[in-house]
Amino acid sequence: MLDLFQNLLLGFGVALSPTNLLLCLVGALVGTLVGVLPGIGTIATVAMLLPITFGLPPVGALIMLAGIYYGAQYGGSTTSILVNIPGEATSVVTTLDGFQMAKQGRAGPALSIAAIGSFIAGCFATVLIAVLGAPLTKLALLFGPAEYFSLMVLGLIFAVVLAKGSVLKAVAMIALGLLLSMVGADLETGASRMAFNIPELADGLGFATVAMGVFGFAEIIRNLDSGAESDRELVQQKITGLMPTRKDLIDSAPAIARGTILGSILGILPGGGAVIASFAAYTFEKKIARDPSRFGRGAIEGVAAPESANNAAAQTSFIPLLTLGIPPNAVMALMVGAMTIHGIQPGPQVMAKQPDLVWGMIASMWIGNLMLIIINLPLVGIWVRLLRVPYRLMFPSIVVFCAIGIYSINNAPVDVVLAGAFGLFGYWLIKHDFEPAPLLLGMVLGSLMEENLRRTLQISRGDWSVFLTRPLSAALLAIAAVLLVLAVLPALRRKRDEVFVEG
Amino acid sequence: MAETTGQLSSGAAVPSARNVTGASIILLLAFAPQLVELAIALASLVAPVSARSPLQVVSAHGAALVESLSALLRQWMDGGKITLRSDALLALIYTYPLIAIALFTGLARPRAPQDYFGGVVLMAIALFALWAASDLSGMRGFTFGPGTAPRMLGVLLLGMGAAVAVIGLVTEGPALQVYHWRGPLFVSLAILTFAVAIRPLGLIVAALASFLIAALGTAETRWGETLIVGVVLTLGCALLFPYVLGLPMPLFPRFLVQ
Repeated sequence: MLDLFQNLLLGFGVALSPTNLLLCLVGALVGTLVGVLPGIGTIATVAMLLPITFGLPPVGALIMLAGIYYGAQYGGSTTSILVNIPGEATSVVTTLDGFQMAKQGRAGPALSIAAIGSFIAGCFATVLIAVLGAPLTKLALLFGPAEYFSLMVLGLIFAVVLAKGSVLKAVAMIALGLLLSMVGADLETGASRMAFNIPELADGLGFATVAMGVFGFAEIIRNLDSGAESDRELVQQKITGLMPTRKDLIDSAPAIARGTILGSILGILPGGGAVIASFAAYTFEKKIARDPSRFGRGAIEGVAAPESANNAAAQTSFIPLLTLGIPPNAVMALMVGAMTIHGIQPGPQVMAKQPDLVWGMIASMWIGNLMLIIINLPLVGIWVRLLRVPYRLMFPSIVVFCAIGIYSINNAPVDVVLAGAFGLFGYWLIKHDFEPAPLLLGMVLGSLMEENLRRTLQISRGDWSVFLTRPLSAALLAIAAVLLVLAVLPALRRKRDEVFVEG
Repeated sequence: MAETTGQLSSGAAVPSARNVTGASIILLLAFAPQLVELAIALASLVAPVSARSPLQVVSAHGAALVESLSALLRQWMDGGKITLRSDALLALIYTYPLIAIALFTGLARPRAPQDYFGGVVLMAIALFALWAASDLSGMRGFTFGPGTAPRMLGVLLLGMGAAVAVIGLVTEGPALQVYHWRGPLFVSLAILTFAVAIRPLGLIVAALASFLIAALGTAETRWGETLIVGVVLTLGCALLFPYVLGLPMPLFPRFLVQ
């Protein structure tokens, strides 16, 4: 326990330095901005800003990128409540009750409950990371290559189970993602694999390049389909009275607690993340409500629970990254990119060797949440004004920013062309109802999985049974198998589809 | 009822029309690698790209199509191991299977075209990956070679793609969604323009040109405001990236600097 306080003290010492405070604020502001603006997601933004962090010290870079991720969870709710368009994928369910509340003239309480819920969830998640960090790191030291491989299999299965739509299609996307991760030099022999003698492919496909394509460019192209002028039905009346009533607070307190816990759990799981957390929290609230018909008509729990859940999940998804070195979702994978650029190999050793980095980032999350509640509540008018910028002017700007961002990672024009090609491919995926998220997760975990699989088989001299004879690995694989069976079973599949019906 | 009949009749008309189109698109996909190489070969006539000459490309791939078939025939007649050139392998692993799928598509009536064509394209990607990994060595004793994992995943993806396609063939499901051309075309053109222009022409020209081309992606663009925003954005980027963030990037066209 004493350790924990010492660590946190160290963390706050790092996070409270003027530079890091400033970077935290920048991250929170940019996060709120992309959260508020529909049509530009967190993944594309983090990918876009990756090169900007080259010149920063590693702690500052991570603090800023983390701020963007959880900041976007705050900002997303503003758009959902006021415009009935989700600013972020994680705020889709918030539109259901949030916009209804706004129509009834209760936009103020909806916004403030969303922000308060997010803040409480953020504080809880910060403490959780601090408490779980050290013990999980110790557990990670017991992990051999076989266990790492099994854990990543479990993560991929989670992604399949939690992805919406067909299980088969999700598995296909993972296989494709793994295949894409194989492009480039082989880790052991250095042989050039599927690179067609293109020098830029020798090091493999850049993760940021693919992410920008399928999440950035594809999204823009898709949005243009329905015409640039999407009907932004802004709630016109002035937002008066941000303060929620006493009844609002009493109603939403348990919902915030449940959303926070559910979100924290789903965030830690590999393959989970903020999107699924918000959906699950909303469905859960509706299930246990005494009068479910209130949902969709302006129930405050329908805003409180998902908004708390997405923020909690956004933050706890740092746990597998910091303790095991395994990114549980695409944004965390970009964080791996940011860490490797600064010469840090994510994994259990980071916490031991660079405690200031890890604890500085954890402390900054709490500070960031505090900043965000100020950025989002009193300043909400400014963000609303931003929503009046028409998409016809916004999308060419995003295209140019993305292109510059991709180019500056390696100073390679080929990367820009590749990102464009993946943008078209992403558009095709959307048209055929394939989810890009499992593809990206497969791509992230691909090389780590192959490396650990090959190492395991080398140690065991080609004996595949080690995965089942080592107890930890066997347990992980068993959980994965059970999950997969459950996901395919008709009864549970119906349940799972129900979760997504709201979207 | 009147509404549903209206939808039904149009729905029934679409698959029969799409099947020929669908088959020809898959046929085009079957020759896509060859056509891409031809395009690069043609580009090498005007730009400094290393490639075979266009004539070589055409004759090599034409010969490969014949050679792979005859090799398959010989293999079938007298067995034994045969080694093929890369072009012939491409024909054998990728082109011929896809031609077969294209012929099948022309005859079949997939009940969920969205899934069917989705699965077929995944199969094409898998087959292409299997060909691309065919020059890599496989298992050496009990250790993985560089080609082992790509081949395993290629087979997995092939299986998954086939499963998605078969399910789309036999179970009822959504029709193809409408593709628009304007957004994809101009956004890709804008990206391509940026990639081509950034080195020789510098950030200012590349960013502005790319902004204006992207703006063509929608009919709602008003050119006055777009031009102003484009210029402001370009100037902002020209200050932000090279100066504030210190990222090395050429600002002006190379010929002006020299």
